[in-house]
Amino acid sequence: MKGRLDRRAVTPLLGLVVLASCFGDPPLAWPPRAPGSQRGGVLFLAAPDDVPTLDPALGYDSRSWMYEQHLFETLVTYDDESRLVPQLAAGWSISDDGRSYRFTLQAGVTFSDGTRLTAADAVGSLERVLDPKTRSQGAEYYRGIRGAADYAAGRSEHVTGLAAPDATTLTVALDEADPLFLHKMALLFAAVVPADYARRLGDDFTDHPIGSGPFVLREWRRGERLVLARNPRYRRNDRPFLDGIVEQSGVDSELAWLQFLSGEIDVAGIPSADFPSIRRAAAAERPGRLISGVALVTNYLGFNCAMPPFDDRRVRQALNYAVDKDDVIALLSGRGVVATSFVPPGMPGYTSATRGYPYDPERARALLREAGLGAGFATELWTQSSDLDLKIGQKVQHDLAAVGVTMTMKQLAWSSFLEAIRQPRRVPLFDLAWSADFPDPSNFLDVLFQSGRSDANNHTFYANPTFDRLLARARPLTDPAARNRAYAKAERLLVDDAPVLLLYHPITYVMLQRRVHGYALHPLLPARFTDVWLDPEPARDQGTGAGS
Amino acid sequence: MRYLVGRIVWALVILLGTTWITFAIVFVVPGDPARVVAGPRADAATLAGIRRELGLDRSLSTQYGRYLWRLAHGDLGRSYANRQPVARTLAHRLPATAALAGAGLAIAIAIGLAGGLATAPFAGRLVDRAALVGSLAILSAPVFWLGMLALYWLGFRWRLVPLGGAASLRHLLLPALVLGIGTGVYYARLLHTNLQEVLTADYIRAARARGVGPVRLLAVHALRNAALPLLTIIGLDFAALLNGVVLTETVFHWPGLGRLAFDAVLALDVPVIMGTVLLSAELVVATNLAVDLVYRIVDPRIRLG
Repeated sequence: MKGRLDRRAVTPLLGLVVLASCFGDPPLAWPPRAPGSQRGGVLFLAAPDDVPTLDPALGYDSRSWMYEQHLFETLVTYDDESRLVPQLAAGWSISDDGRSYRFTLQAGVTFSDGTRLTAADAVGSLERVLDPKTRSQGAEYYRGIRGAADYAAGRSEHVTGLAAPDATTLTVALDEADPLFLHKMALLFAAVVPADYARRLGDDFTDHPIGSGPFVLREWRRGERLVLARNPRYRRNDRPFLDGIVEQSGVDSELAWLQFLSGEIDVAGIPSADFPSIRRAAAAERPGRLISGVALVTNYLGFNCAMPPFDDRRVRQALNYAVDKDDVIALLSGRGVVATSFVPPGMPGYTSATRGYPYDPERARALLREAGLGAGFATELWTQSSDLDLKIGQKVQHDLAAVGVTMTMKQLAWSSFLEAIRQPRRVPLFDLAWSADFPDPSNFLDVLFQSGRSDANNHTFYANPTFDRLLARARPLTDPAARNRAYAKAERLLVDDAPVLLLYHPITYVMLQRRVHGYALHPLLPARFTDVWLDPEPARDQGTGAGS
Repeated sequence: MRYLVGRIVWALVILLGTTWITFAIVFVVPGDPARVVAGPRADAATLAGIRRELGLDRSLSTQYGRYLWRLAHGDLGRSYANRQPVARTLAHRLPATAALAGAGLAIAIAIGLAGGLATAPFAGRLVDRAALVGSLAILSAPVFWLGMLALYWLGFRWRLVPLGGAASLRHLLLPALVLGIGTGVYYARLLHTNLQEVLTADYIRAARARGVGPVRLLAVHALRNAALPLLTIIGLDFAALLNGVVLTETVFHWPGLGRLAFDAVLALDVPVIMGTVLLSAELVVATNLAVDLVYRIVDPRIRLG
């Protein structure tokens, strides 16, 4: 009797010991820092989830971009003021008709494996993005290159519009002039990878990425940690300062805050509840240095303009007047500015001429009466299942009740939410945010509100021929001032038509340990670590940091 | 031998049924896997290309047939989300979950033994009542609350354990504690009740008459018989723990199977959903089969069963 039961209990326990022993990370060793030197040291970070991918053809989210931009380089990029500047390119010229581009690459650049970076790699990198087998989300940006469609359809071996006449020259021919093309070349989709190597690895390139950026991938244990180390072959001798970056995954924001307070990580977001007291103590740099930046993001509620009662402009305007946006900002603990236009401040084409919709419940009621809805109506807000979305939803619910509108809420997981809002007559009201891919108003206005784009991102099903005409007039303009004026005109019409309930533009606040320098928030890109340096602190790198 | 073949065939039928049901459920829920791969911004042409590349434009039965064909060749496919081979991901995640479930179970057994033995002599008295109320409170505490509380006090204030992560065995302590404590107090109550029953048995009275001390009486003579039903439950619980650590893994962001499944469902990552469900089913089927076989070997009376 006894023997039988013991054996059953012991076998799984033995198995466990074996399993447990093959688990756990080896520690990481870093070179010692020279005393007093700006150079060296490791930046410790934490994040709730894994980085989705390190393949620049695939990543389309700020987490992936944050690390891709340190492993790879593009021909052009943005400086701290979001102006286009050369990166791998030494220079470029554009033909008068705006349809041919000629890039000259810097000479003597190598990939981190020591092979030379050539214009042929630049051609191959773009072809890889256009190849349907890659399943790149960024393919659409490069379909304007001549021959791209034939290549994608398998009718030609190469994209005819791309050529590398010599090792440092890349020429691109477009089907028609595209004022945004340089911006598209600054997207990480256009990063230059060793083309043959990347093709050979296919889906495994993300695990063994090779690029020309300031860092290389040292280790990636999914769900545990991601480690970057200095690229010894980086084209600039004076950068980066850091020896490495370690990101521990599986740390949610509350836990990250505790880790920050314990000195285990160098950078952290601030939990809502702690934010007011942190801001008051900001001058004392306690517990760290507070930095902030307005993101090029607009948070809004979208109306389905094809569904009654939101097919009536007066109803949409009424709801805009009914919500007190200052209260919404208070819910964010002040981490946002009220939106009065759809294009966010700081973005080219932003216009301060629209006043948006100040809080005016009287006016809201009057507009509803005018629309024949004086007795109110019922509607449903669809949101994603996050705490913040829920809180803001409840605030809107409360304000709408005051003007007689009964709003219920429906929370969905991201994938289901995304699918639902694309259905033409399913979702009356939804909660969404849009962030800029590149600093141009078309990135907000054309992408979200052009009537022909309801198969892609026009979730409000807004359709106004006058607005479409204004966009069509603005789109080909290359002179920045004229372009911004034309888009501002379209924007004024849009705000008046109110296909969305404008809420706010978020402000990002980040806390840094006092030893961290040169860390800045960029309006468009994730934070860059190339210029980051640490106070010489020899004791700490052997200390408590994750995995050190 | 015929019995064994029969059981294995039956196990395969169960696994096949599992793939079919999971596949059907994944495609019934609203949401388009291609859209999730393409991201929120892709235009219609990109979306169509991705759908074609993934074979999502074929009929459901074709897709299912292809899946089974690859499965028969040992290919679980690649994740839609991060393009990793599913088999590699599962192999990487299983040890983490097994370690967590095992450590949780070990803690549960320790708590069960200590709690049961400590309260048994005081049945019906104040100490026992207090232990009962305490057990109920722990059993009813949500894992999320317990986890955050433990992290704050044990990790942040007292610095006894690392704050999250899964880098070493030290990181295992807190999630295992949170996972094991509920099961542990349950075991303690079970052992407590069994001990009450055993303590009235004749052989105990005889032992006491022989002059066996109270501690030895309880911890050796009584425990041996009182623990038997507990051991049976523990055997069954291990399989359940392997599949039931989703909440703990989510709270502690433990890189195990539970969190993998959870993330995959949210992202509609069909190959990963199929892979995790299949592996879980396999674990349960294999555990049951093994338990049955061991029973037949050690107890000839059920050999005809």
